[in-house]
Amino acid sequence: MKFVLDQHAYLNSPIHRWDTRFKLIGFLVLIFAFSFVQELYIMPAMALATVAIFMISRIPVSFILARLRYPSFFLFAVVILLPFISGSDVVFSIGPLDVYEEGIESALLISVRFFSIITLGLILFGTAPLLTSIKAMRSLGLPAILADMTLLTFRYLFEIGNYLHQMETALRLRGFQARRFSRRGFSTLAWLGGSILVRSYERSEWIYKAMIMRGYGQDVNISQGSFQSSARDILALGLLILLAGGFVTAQILI
Amino acid sequence: MHVPDGVLPTAVCAAGYAAAVPITWYSIRKINQTGDPRENVPKAALLTAAFFVASWIHIPVPPTSVHLVLSGLMGAVLGYFAFPAILIGLFLQAVMFGHGGLSTLGVNAIIIGGPALLASFIFRLRGLRGDATRRSTGIFGFLASLCAIGISAALFTVLLINFIPADLDADTERHAILMLALGHVPLMFIEGAFTAFVTVFLLRVRPQMLTES
Repeated sequence: MKFVLDQHAYLNSPIHRWDTRFKLIGFLVLIFAFSFVQELYIMPAMALATVAIFMISRIPVSFILARLRYPSFFLFAVVILLPFISGSDVVFSIGPLDVYEEGIESALLISVRFFSIITLGLILFGTAPLLTSIKAMRSLGLPAILADMTLLTFRYLFEIGNYLHQMETALRLRGFQARRFSRRGFSTLAWLGGSILVRSYERSEWIYKAMIMRGYGQDVNISQGSFQSSARDILALGLLILLAGGFVTAQILI
Repeated sequence: MHVPDGVLPTAVCAAGYAAAVPITWYSIRKINQTGDPRENVPKAALLTAAFFVASWIHIPVPPTSVHLVLSGLMGAVLGYFAFPAILIGLFLQAVMFGHGGLSTLGVNAIIIGGPALLASFIFRLRGLRGDATRRSTGIFGFLASLCAIGISAALFTVLLINFIPADLDADTERHAILMLALGHVPLMFIEGAFTAFVTVFLLRVRPQMLTES
């Protein structure tokens, strides 16, 4: 079964072919190295590295842009506010409002770091099916309970989302309007939430029985046989760690 | 209440992960102590998905509408599964919608999941004087959620004001804290009331969902 997140997971690029375990380690090291950077001079290099990795991944720009829409609201607020409230050196004024140099620098720093890290995260989980990524995390030590819960949650998320849409449609057909706040409307929405929980709970009982019949609970050793690494995978990990080390060193030296 | 990527320094992000690991370990240890822990995994997973979906319900608060965090309700219904469930929910939000972040996953789990665990302890107090009634369930559901959101909002505000890489003067900082705190007060009461309604509904329709936690 293909999910929204997995729609570009089957492309053919060096990042898609990279052993997911090494990819996870390498990308997470780079993400943390990016969050370590606080110097504006390093920002262009960070943006350039992100664009290069993105181009190697061959993921369409539209996939990234679609996922940047929602988090960009927060960023927009930060970028709009910080230049006016942070700092002491006035660069220019817009009417009664002063624009500060430190505020502009902070807004730039946050924006570039934000877009770089979020793009890396999307590439990391967009270049392998989520099932493979979870298996890789499991082989790196993720507890079985967390791995099973993540996969099941992801598997049933959109189905339960459909329950909500159906129930909201049914409510509207019966004349319910959630535009005004009223005690009755509020309790209806709470019961809607409660019904979603009850339906999911009842569904889980059937799922558990079906899982037991398919052998759920028998320990499977994921670390053996599921992943095979080559010298190229290790080399790619080394390169990414070297890149991350470069950013950290540059930040310390500047 | 999600801190996005790129806002906090590495040390804080790493500290978030360092704090989230022992809480996850403690939760899993407690889960493993209950009969067959795998039996509850599908229930917890589907309820995690259901909470995720239920948080899409928009509550009209004129002139706008809000969507709920539901961490208090998760604590009440999921018990020790609440922290892992929130961790998973935040992970999926980060990788699917770019909401929150991977570097701040630990921090966000502490901000939302820690108070959810506390909410589960508060909600358990409803049965302290014998069997839980509708009234005690509603009251403790309300209190559990109110506390969970209040603590989450306080943690979020403190982290954002102290660690955002900007030179805010003391006056601006005080105003920002006041604005963020005041902005979350209505949400605390709305979440509390919503949890009270849902827990009473569950007590009437499927009481075992509350006793199993």
